Amino acid sequence: MRIPCPYCGSRDLSEFVYHGDAAPKRPDPAAENASELFYTYVYLRENPAGPLRELWYHASGCRSWLIVTRDTRTHDIAGAVLAMESAS
Amino acid sequence: MVERGPLVLRPASAIPELCGSVELSRAWVLACERHPQLATVIAYKGRRADVAARLKDRYALSLPDGPRRATRGASALIGLGPRSWLFQRETGPALEPELSEVLGDAAAVTNQSDGYVVFRLTGPRVRDVLAKGISIDLHDRVFVPGCSVGTTCAHIGVILWRLEDANDVSVFELAVFRSLARSLWHFIEESAAEFGLAVTPAC
Repeated sequence: MRIPCPYCGSRDLSEFVYHGDAAPKRPDPAAENASELFYTYVYLRENPAGPLRELWYHASGCRSWLIVTRDTRTHDIAGAVLAMESAS
Repeated sequence: MVERGPLVLRPASAIPELCGSVELSRAWVLACERHPQLATVIAYKGRRADVAARLKDRYALSLPDGPRRATRGASALIGLGPRSWLFQRETGPALEPELSEVLGDAAAVTNQSDGYVVFRLTGPRVRDVLAKGISIDLHDRVFVPGCSVGTTCAHIGVILWRLEDANDVSVFELAVFRSLARSLWHFIEESAAEFGLAVTPAC
């Protein structure tokens, strides 16, 4: 699998570290029900079949976090953007 | 109590005694170790334009907006990432304090002179040596002088760039974290053995 890094260009999978679904947001640790929120955040993840926006870290390249849209059934990659330039 | 004198750090060569060295006239690959001054420049959020303007003003260097290397005299700027660059200078006064003063509050400047070892490789078979460890297309027309890349070589993280040709032969430099330099050198030595490798300070 190759990932189109917006900075480096198309690169081999071995240069990247996978983090997972880009959607979950870290809860507020000061919230009243923080432990419940963190349980949900850490453990209760969707496992969709189809396109998914994911966080990948280009550890051996530009050392940037990317948001990669990957089809979990086919590994087809629809696109990749720098996480720092993405709205979410 | 043992009285201790001041700690003296001496630069140690990353190139140990060469096992398979050949005569210069028979070598198809030449290598040497360089000691440039290095510093990383990481622009603070929203300050990229300031960094670009100040480096242009002071060093007449254009900030590369991709994985490329810009040079002016003895200074060079290598694109590492969207907001980070490696400043390289072969000579001159201490680099990091000077850069810190120039860039002030616009960027984080960190001295890397002793953090990296730089190997320079050249010779007619230099691409064959690198191809065994690097999965980047280094073809003459693709990876032209001025290109740079962060990648792995033999599973070791490196920053690689291509200099201007010397005597019509391609010249590459690899920067590697100092603690990994001997491992990378081991790869270079093994990979170049079949072509004949010579270590020469003047490569």
